[in-house]
Amino acid sequence: MNTLECKGIVKKFGSNEVLHGVDLTLERGKIYGLIGRNGAGKTTLLSIASGQNPATAGEVTVSATDDIAAQPLKVWDNQDALDLICFSRELNITGGNAGVGGLKVKDYLKAAQTYFPNYDKALEDRLVKEFELDVKKRLSKLSKGMLSMVTIIVALASKAPYTFFDEPVAGLDVVARETFYKIALEEFSESGRTFVISTHIIEEAADIFEEVLFLDKGKIILKENTQELVERVVHVSGKEEDVDAICEGRKVYHVEKIGRSKAAAVMLEPGEELKNTADITVQPMNLQQIFVAMCGKEA
Amino acid sequence: MNEILSKEKSIYIQISEMIENDILRDILLEEEKVPSTNDLAKIYTINPATAAKGVNILVDSGVLYKKRGIGMFVSAGAKKLIMKRRKAEFYENYVRAIVEEAKNLGMTKEDLIKMIDEAN
Repeated sequence: MNTLECKGIVKKFGSNEVLHGVDLTLERGKIYGLIGRNGAGKTTLLSIASGQNPATAGEVTVSATDDIAAQPLKVWDNQDALDLICFSRELNITGGNAGVGGLKVKDYLKAAQTYFPNYDKALEDRLVKEFELDVKKRLSKLSKGMLSMVTIIVALASKAPYTFFDEPVAGLDVVARETFYKIALEEFSESGRTFVISTHIIEEAADIFEEVLFLDKGKIILKENTQELVERVVHVSGKEEDVDAICEGRKVYHVEKIGRSKAAAVMLEPGEELKNTADITVQPMNLQQIFVAMCGKEA
Repeated sequence: MNEILSKEKSIYIQISEMIENDILRDILLEEEKVPSTNDLAKIYTINPATAAKGVNILVDSGVLYKKRGIGMFVSAGAKKLIMKRRKAEFYENYVRAIVEEAKNLGMTKEDLIKMIDEAN
C-alpha cells in the first residue's frame, strides 16, 4: 500500500552486471536523495523503477492508495502503473536538429503532457516564467542548464505520485538551483508526492532530503533518515590506540593514518553521544563527507 | 526568523533555537501563531519533516502548543520557560567547563572570581 517497491533488481548489459539485486521501498510523501558516483547505476535504477527499462531479474510494483486490500500493480508494461510514475531523464541533445533536438521547447512540453494523465499545464506555465525559459527555442539551442529546466518542468508538472529527478540541477546556476529546491518543496508540501532526486551537489540539497540512499557499485549500501545519519556518523582522531579503542565493535569507514595519529569515520548507535576527551577529538561530519567516507576510495 | 542556517548544528535544533530567539526578542509574542512547518521548509529550503522536528521539540518543552487544525502558538509564559532552561544549559555547558579549565590551569576559586569581575 502506497509504496513503490523494487525487489531483487538485477540489470545486465551484455555480460556487464550494473545492478546486483537492489531491494528498495519508497514510501509516499517523502523526498529521497539518491547519491552515487558516476557509473554507480543511478539512472539505470530509476529507469527500471519507472518501467522505462526492463530488469534482467527482479520486479517493481507500485501502489498509490491507502487501501490496504488493494493489490500493488506491476510496473513493467502496465499503463495503470506507469500513470503513477514520472522519470524525467536528463536530456542529452547530440544530433543537432535531428531527432528531439529539432523540437521547440513548447512542442516538447506539449508532447510530454500527453504522457501524464494529471499533467498540470498551469504549473508548467508558472515554471516556464519562473525559470525565464524561452519556449520558442529549439532544444538543440539550449544550454545544459536550460535543458535541466525543461526536465524539471516536466517532472513537476506531471503531478505523478512518484516522480524521479535525474540530476535536475546539473548545469543550473546557483540562483536557479535555489529556485528549484524551493519550488520542489512547495509542490511537495501541497501534494504529498514522492520525489527521488539524484544529485552530485550533495551538501546544498542535503537539507531537503528526508532520507538518503547511497548507491555504490550497483548496490544500495545505505538508506537512512538524513538528519539521523548526520548525527550518527562522526570523525574521530587521536593517537592510534585511543582511536582503535573507540572503533572497537563499531562500524568504521575510511581510516587514515599519519605517523602515530589515526582518524576514522565512526557510526554510533542511535542516540549515542561521543564527546571530546583529552585523548580524542570528535567532530561532526556533513552528508558529503559521510558519502566520501563510505563510497570513496580507501586511503 | 531571519537568521541563516549554519552547518555547525543539526538543522532542527537550529530551527527550534531560532523560534526561541524570536520569542525572547519579542518578534513572536505569547499566544501568537508561529509559521507553519511548510512555511519554515520553504523559507529555509529544508524538508518539512525536519522543520516539524524542530517545532515539536518546542511543543514537548511547553514553549509552543498546538491548536488543532489551526497551527502552533506561543504558550503563555514561554519567555520565562526559555530563560530558565537556557540558564540551566549555561551552567552545564559553560560554567562547569570554565571551572574545569580553571582547575587545569591551577587557578584558585578566588582567582576565577577575580577574573569574572574583571570581565564584567
